[in-house]
Amino acid sequence: MKRVFVVYATDNVGTAVLEAIQTGDHVGCNGERSDLEVIALDPIAYGHKIALMDIAQGDTVLKYGLSIGSASRDIKEGEHVHDHNVESNRGRGDLAERETVTAE
Amino acid sequence: MSEFLGYIRPNGDVGIRNHLLILSGTVYANGVCDRVADTIHGAVPITHANGRCQVAPDLRVTRRFLAGTAMNPNVGAVVIIDHFKEEGMTAEDLADDIAPTGKPIATVNIRGDGGFISAVDKATRYAQDFARQISLHQREAAPMSKILFGTECGTSDTTSGLASNPANGLAGEILIAQGGRMLMAECTEWMGCETWLTDKATSPAVAEAILAGVQHMEARALASGEDIRGSQPTGDNMAGGLTTIEEKSMGAVKKIGDSPIIEYLEIAEAPIKTDPGNYVMYGPGMGAESISSMAAAGCQVLTFCTGGGHTSNHPIMPTIKVTGNRGSFELMRDTVDVDVSGVFYGEITLAEAGQIVYDEVERVCNGYLTKSEALRDNNSFAIHRVGPSI
Repeated sequence: MKRVFVVYATDNVGTAVLEAIQTGDHVGCNGERSDLEVIALDPIAYGHKIALMDIAQGDTVLKYGLSIGSASRDIKEGEHVHDHNVESNRGRGDLAERETVTAE
Repeated sequence: MSEFLGYIRPNGDVGIRNHLLILSGTVYANGVCDRVADTIHGAVPITHANGRCQVAPDLRVTRRFLAGTAMNPNVGAVVIIDHFKEEGMTAEDLADDIAPTGKPIATVNIRGDGGFISAVDKATRYAQDFARQISLHQREAAPMSKILFGTECGTSDTTSGLASNPANGLAGEILIAQGGRMLMAECTEWMGCETWLTDKATSPAVAEAILAGVQHMEARALASGEDIRGSQPTGDNMAGGLTTIEEKSMGAVKKIGDSPIIEYLEIAEAPIKTDPGNYVMYGPGMGAESISSMAAAGCQVLTFCTGGGHTSNHPIMPTIKVTGNRGSFELMRDTVDVDVSGVFYGEITLAEAGQIVYDEVERVCNGYLTKSEALRDNNSFAIHRVGPSI
């Protein structure tokens, strides 16, 4: 079984730092969450992240036990997690404007 | 409370090294400084490109860097050399700044003392006397609470935020539990995790200063025509798997642990407070300037977390390189001190990695040479500029 690394117990993503992952690989976790095992739905390159559980659109993506952004669409357990399905909560001038309009 | 063996200075500070510093007051005295240091046992030269034709706010920062470095507890004595009458920062001005530490100081002026040869002669004799004088200093027991532990990260990669930085944060927590202080600069890397930092601030003033520091650095970058926000994470960060600025910044700031933030400092400014905890400082991501600002603030020791394997080493502040990348450790075995990559392979836990980093810091505080110190690769003294040369 291949392995990813999970920094904090509350994380919903793991990082491929031991080896690259191929679609269909059974993936276990080093670090935290040694109880979890997922099947990769995508190839995960070195340094990239895999979803350890389903993450609904709008939910927080957690790494280091902290938010690294929000899911921009539903993410399935085992999917590659990157800029195609996660967006930053920083530098969002469009959101700030919308909030201002709502507040008014 | 554990203790270490250090050099107790007249003002109560405790050094982990006992350097004789040959300090250049201006670029035009660098040659004399190097010549003197070549002659004298154990002398460390610090040379740089500043000291002339700087606007006042910029010169004030340069003066803090130079005086602060000489005031660092790792310096036992200092010879300062300048070349003529430097405006706003003579060798005597620097000596006045350093004097409250009570350490031996001598000044030499190249023109005043009759040219290069006479200045080398005079400065070398001072340096010889000081070298012998400080050789009498003995290490004595001091509490770990006397340590101001600086931390930096550079040439980071995927492993940095996962292993070396969080392990380093845990090492800081071990020191802080014994009454010590940890210092982090590089406010460019606070972007995206301001809330994580301000939540740790011990007062609203500290929280506001943290936010203002990040905004100020962003504004300076924007004024140069560069939008660092749009370029973060960088293209190679994205290719390497980093998705958002939060992810990148969190990985970086994890090099301090979860302790409260006691004080916000301007660049190269020494803390006033002594409470155990984290301290943060305004400054650039540029490694040499950043670690030099922390040495000027009084850090006796620094960990430099690196993914790729960094060569950075400060001339008077031992710089311990820590990596979570086994390949980098193998490749840079003569330069990188600590390998915590075992966390990825299930060989050690993150908590154990934190203890490994802390143990190395404590050993270095007791006199153990870092790899770069043994090589005398003193490459990382640099002064941050906040104004143009005129």
